[in-house]
Amino acid sequence: FLGAGGGNDIQWCFSQVKGAVDDDVAEADIISTVEFNHSGELLATGDKGGRVVIFQQEQENKTQSHSRGEYNVYSTFQSHEPEFDYLKSLEIEEKINKIRWLPQKNAAQFLLSTNDKTIKLWKISERDKRPEGYNLKEEDGRYRDPTTVTTLRVPVFRPMDLMVEASPRRIFANAHTYHINSISINSDYETYLSADDLRINLWHLEITDRSFNIVDIKPANMEELTEVITAAEFHPNSCSTFVYSSSKGTIRLCDMRASALCDRHSKLFEEPEDPSNRSFFSEIISSISDVKFSHSGRYMMTRDYLSVKIWDLNMENRPVETYQVHEYLRSKLCSLYENDCIFDKFECCWNGSDRQVESFSLIVMTGSYNNFFRMFDRNTKRDITLEASRENNKPRTVLKPRKVCASGKRKKDEISVDSLDFNKKILHTAWHPKENIIAVATTNNLYIFQDKMN
Amino acid sequence: MLGKGGKRKFDEHEDGLEGKVVSPTDGPSKVSYTLQRQTIFNISLMKLYNHRPLTEPSLQKTVLINNMLRRIQEELKQEGSLRPMFVAASQPADPLSDNFREAQPAFSHLASPPLLPADFVSTMPLESCLTPASLLEDDTFCTSPAVQHDGPTKPPPPALQPVKDSFSSALDEIEELCPAPTSAEAVAAESAAGDSKAQPSESSIHKPEGLPESRTAESKLMDPLPGNFEITASTGFLTDLTLDDILFADIDTSMYDFDPCTSATGAASKMAPVSADELLKTLAPYSSQPVTPNQPFKMDLTELDHIMEVLVGS
Repeated sequence: FLGAGGGNDIQWCFSQVKGAVDDDVAEADIISTVEFNHSGELLATGDKGGRVVIFQQEQENKTQSHSRGEYNVYSTFQSHEPEFDYLKSLEIEEKINKIRWLPQKNAAQFLLSTNDKTIKLWKISERDKRPEGYNLKEEDGRYRDPTTVTTLRVPVFRPMDLMVEASPRRIFANAHTYHINSISINSDYETYLSADDLRINLWHLEITDRSFNIVDIKPANMEELTEVITAAEFHPNSCSTFVYSSSKGTIRLCDMRASALCDRHSKLFEEPEDPSNRSFFSEIISSISDVKFSHSGRYMMTRDYLSVKIWDLNMENRPVETYQVHEYLRSKLCSLYENDCIFDKFECCWNGSDRQVESFSLIVMTGSYNNFFRMFDRNTKRDITLEASRENNKPRTVLKPRKVCASGKRKKDEISVDSLDFNKKILHTAWHPKENIIAVATTNNLYIFQDKMN
Repeated sequence: MLGKGGKRKFDEHEDGLEGKVVSPTDGPSKVSYTLQRQTIFNISLMKLYNHRPLTEPSLQKTVLINNMLRRIQEELKQEGSLRPMFVAASQPADPLSDNFREAQPAFSHLASPPLLPADFVSTMPLESCLTPASLLEDDTFCTSPAVQHDGPTKPPPPALQPVKDSFSSALDEIEELCPAPTSAEAVAAESAAGDSKAQPSESSIHKPEGLPESRTAESKLMDPLPGNFEITASTGFLTDLTLDDILFADIDTSMYDFDPCTSATGAASKMAPVSADELLKTLAPYSSQPVTPNQPFKMDLTELDHIMEVLVGS
């Protein structure tokens, strides 16, 4: 098992599962992004149907000290609708690619959600009081006959059932020719970046009719295109620094102070290819699907098809740590290429920490196939494989570690590679920013696990 | 192979295909390396050309597949440049379009089926991949068979783009041969069936006089990996959207749908994954077709030239 900071092993237990039970998955219900807000009280999911569902954690109940609050539906709204690009005769998917929360400044919550082309800023606010006692209106809204009014009263606010409203406050559109893969809010909390396959734009949260292009890797002749941008993120502390990853396995760190167009990187992170592992698929599996800074910003983590790598921002020529997620797939790459699984974009995340200190960026989590997900403890170098499955439904029962048998004789309880279900992939995982609570998305279900509190 | 409890049947092919890539210079391993490379090439072409999404295809995926094809082409070109039978003795290194011009005499540009049937079983050095110039000028995509330098013909390819009649008739033949084919078997059957009805051709391939014509015809070819990155109305692969609609209106490409896990079918796809080694397995029964071991293994640049011709020439 894993340690977390204090050296106590985390024992993960099933807490909740959200979503339809039946195996027949409606396409619109496929979860496409998962994100905790900055306090961890809210957990947002986006799906292929363009909807955002926000869960809220119950306040801890003193009598139920053995478990943290449960997450219940707080708000559901349709963020994006399908559109049609008439010029190209193609549909624009409403699938939510990413959600990013803004830090809370007042009673309302704000988040950015994006599909392939358009980013929207949503305000989620609560209404739990309403005015009552109008003089000219009945409670149901009908107007009273003024001649029947004999006395006057002052309307007062009375409690009502909580209503959560989501309203779009800004729509940032028409700035991306290609598909948006990332959005990242700057540490100045005023600007954010959006990245598509070839360009990265900088926006101000208040201004929707203008954005600045800060990275452009589109070649003059599109036939020379061999590399695309796959992910981008702002540095957590330095508001002029951001990184972007590519389909060739490189990460570029850029400083916006250097020039208006950051086509020239300040740093280029790339690991030389291991010649013993060379194959036709070397490039494809090196394509980075996610990049995440550590809490302090000293490190960053990248996910490629088979591994998770931790990079020290001060060392460009190789990662400081590499963790194999499912090395047993290396001999199956041809089949995975054929059925397109090799293009699956797995995300990765750091453990939560109540302190933004480097020593607390200790565990990394990422998904795999067969509804397995993996965690790597950077301190102990131990790793664990767990499964998100309704069969492990008992709350407070510790999840059993899983093991894949790569070859040879399969031990009891092990699963052979050939038995893995490649339709059951965990692409999106999230870790509560402060506590040991994780959200793991299978195709259409959201699992919440907590560590066992004694 | 990747389904639940899927049984593997052809372990030897499995090793050749899925095992570590061996150096192309190894003797007996060269076949498996070439086999693997050819399979990947075919799969890549399939992915690029048979995918007709309603939404824009992923640029990242397209770029990666294109890079794969380019790499294989480069390799083939380098291997091919060692062959003495190339008319163009000097091969400039780049650009890619030049290579294809020079490769004309060596490779039939008539596309072959994405899954070669018996060709998989018998690979040949590339120097035997010459084609009569008369065929180079044919505008047909698959009606005339690709011609080998010796022996019987190569099976005609199923149409990836125009010429639907031969494709339809090939489909009929498949249905006759294989009542319930998997997609791989269907294509293999069709190719094998086509083979049996193909016309034998002369053994002499070398027709230098035809080459200049074909060269000029090809000189207007751009990089054969088409400019499919430009987001155009026609999804980038064909220049004329309306023509595209007409051509594809009544084509059933389900036989070519080798992607059991595509988003089109949804995450709950129940299709049995057709793995690469399963494809090989289904092709083995057809090795008894009248195809000599001299069948060259040459459809790679061939196919691309063919496709480019369709895109540009017609």
